[in-house]
Amino acid sequence: MLGKFIAGKFLQYLIVIFLMLTLNFLLPRLMPGNPLVFLAGEDVGFMSSAEKEAILDKYGLNDSIIEQYGAYIKDIFTGDFGYSYQQKRPISELLMERLPWTMLLTGLGLVLSTIIGVMFGAISAWRRGTKTDANLLTVFMFLSAMPSFWVGMILVSIFSAQLGWLPVFGAESAWSNYSGIDRIIDIGKHLILPLATLILISVTSTFMIMRYSMLNVLGEDYIMMAKAKGVKEKVIKYKHAMRNALLPVATVFMLSLGFTLGGATVIETVFAYPGVGRLMFESVLSRDYPLIQATFLIITFSVVIANFLADLIYPLLDPKVGSRNG
Amino acid sequence: MNTVLSVENLSTYFKTDKGIAKAVENVSFSLNKGEMLGLIGESGCGKTTVAQSILRLIEYPGKVVSGRVLLNGRDLIKASDKDLASMRWKEISVIPQSAMNALNPIFTIGDQIMESILIHENVSKREALKRTKTLLELVGIDGERWRSYPHEFSGGMKQRVAIAMALACNPKLVISDESTTGLDVLTQAQVIALIKNLQKKMDLSVILISHDLPMVTAICDKIAIMYAGNIVEWAPTEDILKNARHPYSQALLNASPDLGNPEKEVVSIPGSVPNLVNFPNSCRFHTRCPLAFDKCRQENPEFKEVRNGHYTACFLEGVGNHG
Ligand SMILES: Nc1ncnc2c1ncn2[C@@H]1O[C@H](COP(=O)(O)OP(=O)(O)OP(=O)(O)O)[C@@H](O)[C@H]1O
Ligand code: SF4
Ligand SMILES: [Mg+2]
Repeated sequence: MLGKFIAGKFLQYLIVIFLMLTLNFLLPRLMPGNPLVFLAGEDVGFMSSAEKEAILDKYGLNDSIIEQYGAYIKDIFTGDFGYSYQQKRPISELLMERLPWTMLLTGLGLVLSTIIGVMFGAISAWRRGTKTDANLLTVFMFLSAMPSFWVGMILVSIFSAQLGWLPVFGAESAWSNYSGIDRIIDIGKHLILPLATLILISVTSTFMIMRYSMLNVLGEDYIMMAKAKGVKEKVIKYKHAMRNALLPVATVFMLSLGFTLGGATVIETVFAYPGVGRLMFESVLSRDYPLIQATFLIITFSVVIANFLADLIYPLLDPKVGSRNG
Repeated sequence: MNTVLSVENLSTYFKTDKGIAKAVENVSFSLNKGEMLGLIGESGCGKTTVAQSILRLIEYPGKVVSGRVLLNGRDLIKASDKDLASMRWKEISVIPQSAMNALNPIFTIGDQIMESILIHENVSKREALKRTKTLLELVGIDGERWRSYPHEFSGGMKQRVAIAMALACNPKLVISDESTTGLDVLTQAQVIALIKNLQKKMDLSVILISHDLPMVTAICDKIAIMYAGNIVEWAPTEDILKNARHPYSQALLNASPDLGNPEKEVVSIPGSVPNLVNFPNSCRFHTRCPLAFDKCRQENPEFKEVRNGHYTACFLEGVGNHG
């Protein structure tokens, strides 16, 4: 039953991925204007006709659309995303360079802000109406109201400019040749400020979801029943209430997980962090269409995969979902 | 006789934006071993609040402001948290107002029934499971279904599970709070019959909360009628049916259909339940009472015994024949 469920879901997502790839293929070819511009960027105007011919050849734009499509699919599955004429490098190489940094920053950011949000959200709900609750609400609302570039700049001005404790930009020190533990420490130091900024601006949503969801669960009859049964306060909080309250948080976590590969554009830009978000920003600025397309493809791909994972994991968390599907 | 529960002058208030809502005021009644008491009244009159006060489940913004709840002589209101936890379920349990929501969706029903046994009794998990299966069979559910989750049951079956859970630790007193709300009439009748059966079989004391007067009069030994936070009359069922003293009780009897006598005219009670926030000192029924007079608007009549085991609160009591 479970195998069939997974296979069914897998097929569903396979279709989504296929549609997404097809759309990605058709879009530049259906858009008005010179397809060359979409493949090579606006530098096309400065290219010699021989260069243009080479590109047309490379992309087989003179072939039939079916042949083009076959070649495109083959390229994707062999990890060939084309060539960035602006950066003068293969796109897959660029992505491979940027992805680990982005995963480190946004992945860690998502996990930490979820943990912090869940903790304080639960505490706030458990102490509903008290000073603790009011204070936590104020702090988190304040955090959510701050723009990320501003938080980033404030942190930089305090911890880098004033105190000189932490580096201002990059993911690690250039030309330092650190290795082993020294390199890890160096990377960690570079990570702290962008990571802190990311957590500060994103933690409020988890906090609010968790607080609201916990308040709802605490008002449920089964919590009162647990009390009437003589279940200890702690057991009620952690066993009966927590898992139920976490369900909406888990949903949001899974959705956000899909977007982590897209990086955090503003923060990566403020801290000159070499992630995918900044790559995307640069590619948009320079109208590097193949690169834009490739980054979008990566993001869609990871969103689809995260959704697939969510579908697999959710039945384990919520028995209702499990039996409805399986 | 053998008194199991005795509620004395219980008052429970809720803090609201507009003021203090006196949801339950000066409520007194008692319950003997093996007795079934029907607690009846319109929606919002405070039945659930009474039940929750007895179980000490009232939470902010509510508070039990006065009174005693003696369970086998021990005051639940004053009991320490530890004593309370050990008395809950072992001596007093509840079948809640909506059993649909009283089961935790992420645990199997077996886990939830076993939990109550394991908290209160020093038995092995295997023993607890064995008892859980027996309990399920007792309420007419296949014992092997202990592995099922609540959503895998129908409403009526969930209600049965809730009953099985309430009986898990052989309590002496069970409060059933409108535990058939949301079920179809046939299932309601089955569930009520099941409760009645088990009550007889296990010699339980039961408080049956309901707004279905004909049903309550059919199966309860005694009846307490609530209006706007007060118990206005409390007497053996026979006495209520034949000789209801309080104007509200009389109106309530006239307002319910009588299956034995389809010719009977059903008369609804004019007016509506008063707002309990900052309620002035007066008989709470005076806004709707056809017999109200000056005194009724200035004082709340005392709840007192008018005949053997028949209590009521009305100024006309003893003044003359008003029935
Ligand atoms: N949490 C609360 N906050 C404020 N007022 C409350 C709260 N709970 C109950 N009350 C008030 O107490 C009164 C009694 O409510 P209760 O739930 O005990 O009525 P009930 O007789 O059980 O009604 P029903 O038949 O609808 O279940 C109501 O008027 C309600 O407004
Ligand atoms: S005390 Fe007065 S208002 Fe209240 S029930 Fe009796 S007659 Fe009616
Ligand atoms: Mg109620």
